[in-house]
Amino acid sequence: MVKATDVLYYAVHAGELRDIIQWQTWHQPVHERKPEQEAPSLAICFEFLDQTSRSFSAVIQELHPELLVPIALFYLILRGLDTIEDDMTISLDEKTPLLREFHNYTEKEGWNYHGCDRKEKDRELLVQFQNVTEEFRKVKPAYREIIKDITLKMGNGMADFCHNAEHDDNCVNTIKDYDLYCYYVAGLVGNGLTRLFVESGLANPVLLERPQLQESMGLFLQKTNIIRDIKEDTDEKRRFWPKEIWSKYVDKFEDLCKPENREAALNCSSEMVLNSLSHADQCLFYLAGLKEQSVFNFAAIPQSMAIATLELVFRNPKVFEKNVKITKGEACRIMMQSTQNLKLVCEVFRGFTRKIHKKNTPRDPNFLKISIACGKIEQFIETIYPSQDPKSIMQEPAAPIDPTSKEGKDKAAAAEAKSDLVFMLIAIFGTLFSISCLMLGIAYAFGARFDVAFSELTQGKLSKPTDAGAAQSIIHKYDHGEL
Amino acid sequence: MTNPRSSNLPSSVLVIGGCGFLGRHIVSQLLEPSTSKVSVLDLRTTNNRLPGASYYDADITSPEAVRAVFEEVRPQIIIHTASPTAMQDNASAAQKKGAKALYYKVNVGGTRTLIVQAGLVGCVKAFVFTSSASAVHDGHSDLINADERWPVLRAPKQKDAYSESKGVAEELVLAANRKYGDMLTIALRPAGIFGEGDMQLIPNLLLAYEKGQTRFQLGENENLFDFTYVGNVAYAHILAAVALMDTHALTTQPLDHEKVDGQAFFVTNAQPLYFWDFTRMVWKAAGDKTTPEQVWTIEKGLGLLFATIIEWLFWFAGGRTPNLTRQKVQFSCMTRFYCVDKAKKLLGYGPKWEMEEAILRTVKWFQERDAKDGVEKKVQ
Repeated sequence: MVKATDVLYYAVHAGELRDIIQWQTWHQPVHERKPEQEAPSLAICFEFLDQTSRSFSAVIQELHPELLVPIALFYLILRGLDTIEDDMTISLDEKTPLLREFHNYTEKEGWNYHGCDRKEKDRELLVQFQNVTEEFRKVKPAYREIIKDITLKMGNGMADFCHNAEHDDNCVNTIKDYDLYCYYVAGLVGNGLTRLFVESGLANPVLLERPQLQESMGLFLQKTNIIRDIKEDTDEKRRFWPKEIWSKYVDKFEDLCKPENREAALNCSSEMVLNSLSHADQCLFYLAGLKEQSVFNFAAIPQSMAIATLELVFRNPKVFEKNVKITKGEACRIMMQSTQNLKLVCEVFRGFTRKIHKKNTPRDPNFLKISIACGKIEQFIETIYPSQDPKSIMQEPAAPIDPTSKEGKDKAAAAEAKSDLVFMLIAIFGTLFSISCLMLGIAYAFGARFDVAFSELTQGKLSKPTDAGAAQSIIHKYDHGEL
Repeated sequence: MTNPRSSNLPSSVLVIGGCGFLGRHIVSQLLEPSTSKVSVLDLRTTNNRLPGASYYDADITSPEAVRAVFEEVRPQIIIHTASPTAMQDNASAAQKKGAKALYYKVNVGGTRTLIVQAGLVGCVKAFVFTSSASAVHDGHSDLINADERWPVLRAPKQKDAYSESKGVAEELVLAANRKYGDMLTIALRPAGIFGEGDMQLIPNLLLAYEKGQTRFQLGENENLFDFTYVGNVAYAHILAAVALMDTHALTTQPLDHEKVDGQAFFVTNAQPLYFWDFTRMVWKAAGDKTTPEQVWTIEKGLGLLFATIIEWLFWFAGGRTPNLTRQKVQFSCMTRFYCVDKAKKLLGYGPKWEMEEAILRTVKWFQERDAKDGVEKKVQ
């Protein structure tokens, strides 16, 4: 349904509208799902995928056929786990064993769960979870092991955090806690996906040796979302911002969203942005290890969206009032740039990094640190795609260039093109000049009175005399003067 | 400050130019673990004296004077950091010409004398030379993430006499590696040094702040620039000396990719900053409250045009150098940052002082000094 406000917005932002149209017209999926060959239970799984994930569903469905179903199911399993964790109406006694045992339920025939609150938006997924378990049992054992392992670790991590949350309001106290929480809910996903990519032969196995890079992929996304969702989370009594950070700016966590604390809250969110930004260069490094285009797109799009979101929330007071989002036009433009190659993704990162730098202000206590973090991302991009090459600097300008070499030929061609342009301009203006002279000369020969015309023009009379008599009298005036 | 590797330092270190801006910081760091005997050779040793070091007055362009000190001190390590101050850009043409001759005399001639005498005295195992990151930079084009593969520039590409003299001296030092018995040499190329006792960067910025020039900005501020805290540069010198001594203790020559002797290394804070962010941080530390909305950005081309007109007007009016010059516009709009991975990998270097802490302590030092000067003036 198109909203009136959207129509207005895109009427003013025609560039963004163009991006949306271009994306929808020209984007070709690397791989496409074949719905006609799918079992009914799998079709139901994909329906759930569409319902539960706004951003991931499309990229998952374009994945390489080898990974399409495993990753779609991986997503649904983690979504189910997450729904149980989020539901505050389930008692801890019931919740803890559910979370810790969830990895076993994934393979259990006919398993489903009806205990979620009716208001929980993804409740239905758990109610009909038997479709997921049925499909999951058809997945290759190697992939299944990886997914189960991650589900086990994440379930245990979530159970630990829920246990702490019950006994202490601030289960995320230190930055270390914050990192650990993000590791459980997102860093682990990075780890699991990497293992799936490498197992299927679609990514460089070296990535397995760099757990920090894998985790950064998840942490960068998760931390950025945690900053963006501050208003919604505070309203629903969830708190993920570490006390170690917010306590520097406000006394009570709830004070962050109060209008009278806006400046302090902005400075606090800057420190959160700084914390998230520290993962950005590692994400780019990770993306360099992905070979297959659909896997690259799948991994790169969310990262580009994250840096764009980070720019959007940086020093933006609106995050404390409502849920801010990047516009659809911008999202389409980012998707177009993130589905080609790493160099373009680096350009996206550089662009948003500079925008963050532009919004940075010396008033902010984190001013210099944010500037350094931006500089670090720019320097990292320079290390993978250098814009200067010492070899070209070393070449002496005086050294004669061999005219037969490629470079010599290029230079000669460029020089020729330049002189061609000059000659062309001379020819054009020369022709115009000669034609003008010719026309004036002919007019003169036929008795045109340029002297009269010029004097009349300088007196401001631009229009031609109304009849021949008037013209004659003017000429007469000039020829004889006032005797 | 504790330095895990300086315990490897032997008994006698001689710092040439140890009363200068960088030299004083090196001497101070050498004295901290106080296991080594620290001596200083300088043209004049009245300023920046530290208790615990011995001071010798000598002109490095005089072989006799240098030999006399070397014979007396018999150092195992020489750290050569002496140089005339790089020229201020408001110097007149005659001053510039004089300075060029001086740079050659001291930086090239003096360095040659020091190498030869150090080689002849026989006890020197390690010779550490302070070069400059500007040796690879022509002074106006962008330099992006440059590392040690970049060539050292000579005239006509190198237009700055100071930088060229440093480049020539560096070549002499590196060529002397393993030429005089087993004396090893190394060169460090710091970029944009600032800190306590700094004569150029910070004083100029603080002056601009006092004059109320914080509301101007030349260029879009997208140019990354390397500034290096003097304490980190001093630390790198000590690491370089230790690395040479470690190499010296080996019975075989190290592999090429592990070699530190005969090598040059860039040294920075490893935190390139947008040019005006550094400037604004210094001003903020000094008490400036200017917000970005109040800043008037002058685009580079326009700045160059203004500067050209003003320079001509000043020239016409009598040859003084104006506050706004083309060189200043170029400087504040150009990109100049380096990659220091080689120093990190082979010397174990990493900045000991983060940028923010370094700026805060430097500005505080200047403010305290000025406050003290103010009190003294009042007393007088």
